[in-house]
Amino acid sequence: MAPKAITSPVPDSLYPTLSVLTLAIGLVLTASFFIYEATTSRKTRSLAQELTTGAVASVFLGFGSLFLLIACGVYV
Amino acid sequence: IDLTSHIIKVYLTLKVENLGTSPASEVHLAFSPAEAEHLAIVKAAATSGKRKKKTYIPLDVKSAELPDGPNGTKFFTVTLLTPLNKGETATLEVLYILTHSLEPFPVEITQSESQLVYFRDSAILLSPYHVKEQTTFIKTPSTRVESFTVVDPAKRAGTELKYGPYEDQPPYSYSPVLVHFENNNPFAVVEELEREIEISHWGNVQVTERYRLVHAGARHKGAFSRVEYQTRPDATGVSSFKHLLAKLPPRVHSVYYRDEIGNVSTSNLRTDYRKSELEFQPRYPLFGGWKSTFVIGYGLPLQDFLFESPDGRRYLNFTFGCPLTQTVVDKLILKVVLPEGSKDPTAVIPFQVDQHLEIKYSYLDVIGRTVVVLEKSNVVPEHNVPFQVYYTFNPIFMLAEPLMLSIAIFLFFVASVSYLHADLSIRK
Repeated sequence: MAPKAITSPVPDSLYPTLSVLTLAIGLVLTASFFIYEATTSRKTRSLAQELTTGAVASVFLGFGSLFLLIACGVYV
Repeated sequence: IDLTSHIIKVYLTLKVENLGTSPASEVHLAFSPAEAEHLAIVKAAATSGKRKKKTYIPLDVKSAELPDGPNGTKFFTVTLLTPLNKGETATLEVLYILTHSLEPFPVEITQSESQLVYFRDSAILLSPYHVKEQTTFIKTPSTRVESFTVVDPAKRAGTELKYGPYEDQPPYSYSPVLVHFENNNPFAVVEELEREIEISHWGNVQVTERYRLVHAGARHKGAFSRVEYQTRPDATGVSSFKHLLAKLPPRVHSVYYRDEIGNVSTSNLRTDYRKSELEFQPRYPLFGGWKSTFVIGYGLPLQDFLFESPDGRRYLNFTFGCPLTQTVVDKLILKVVLPEGSKDPTAVIPFQVDQHLEIKYSYLDVIGRTVVVLEKSNVVPEHNVPFQVYYTFNPIFMLAEPLMLSIAIFLFFVASVSYLHADLSIRK
């Protein structure tokens, strides 16, 4: 009876694709964050929207940079 | 006694008989102090059947203290499977390995000379028991034997020396013999090997090995002539070596071989589905007394080595020892770096090692990674057996790394929001 092997949560071959995808989405959200900052005036800005866009963008960028590190061989 | 390489393998086939009245469940083996110092491993097995149908059942061997030996004798006890009753006999096979026991003589040789070594042992087995009949066979690597002590009856035929048979020897009898023979097999000794096995739950086991290799045979004297070495390979440098072979697990990737100067390109990796072989050559051939320091590293897939035990803990199943073939390691330091957030590490190894724990700080670490350090001296290829390191790990800790990155990036966004909201104009 072979013992149960532990594998990574994401298959190894998917790391590069996943990293490109998540980083792309994260950068698009970062772009929309800065566009929002640039196009609205200080009075009409909504802090809630700024922070939500920033939070979602940072989650995607965080995971994307982790997958990028793993895909490059730095297994953190 | 196999003297073909610099690692001496001694095979004893003992037929023991219990002449006493009470059943005996242990057999004692005795070693002289010089032998005991260089002993790397002692293994014993009970045999049954003959020739091709022999079956081996491994037996427990432990170091023991017995009061009645001549000064300095070290003892080992073999525990039998079933106690031996009065009058019964049993056959045991014992293998013990000695390292650093071939003394080069002459101590220094030039490039064109062959390497001759001394081997000292006893023609009669050192044993706490009365020995009724014994024979010793010594196998040398080549037919050149300069001299050997003659203890009647002694015979030499080609590469084999036969001492015996000797009858009725009392306990602890010892008859020293000295064999002076040629041994040109590579005397590769790794003075220190530091092996670091880093486990990453994202899918990789990274192994980094730092070697300090030395040629432990007769020291080289005089000049080294590269021209002579390359033009006449059979006549010069016969005791030197330039190729080293490392046996690695299958599915190895990203293998590198470098030293202080940089990458060493003289290496070949051959893989198949059962094993990988890395054949590498140091920058220069190694003659007696010459050293080489280098680093070999490689990555392995996680699912080949990390498993889940029935009680919920995870364990790493890896091979102890040194991947280089035919080498002795004077000091082996094996470090298993467990991922951040691992708790209660324990190591299960079939033989005696020194263990302690350390902390290592690596990429994206906050609290540091626990390192299980196993140290052993005098390691030979027979020590390449699997061992396990158990630890508990909550999978939710894996999220700590991407969340740390996300929080750092979010702080950047918060900083930009606060900068854009801050009104620093003087004029209202």
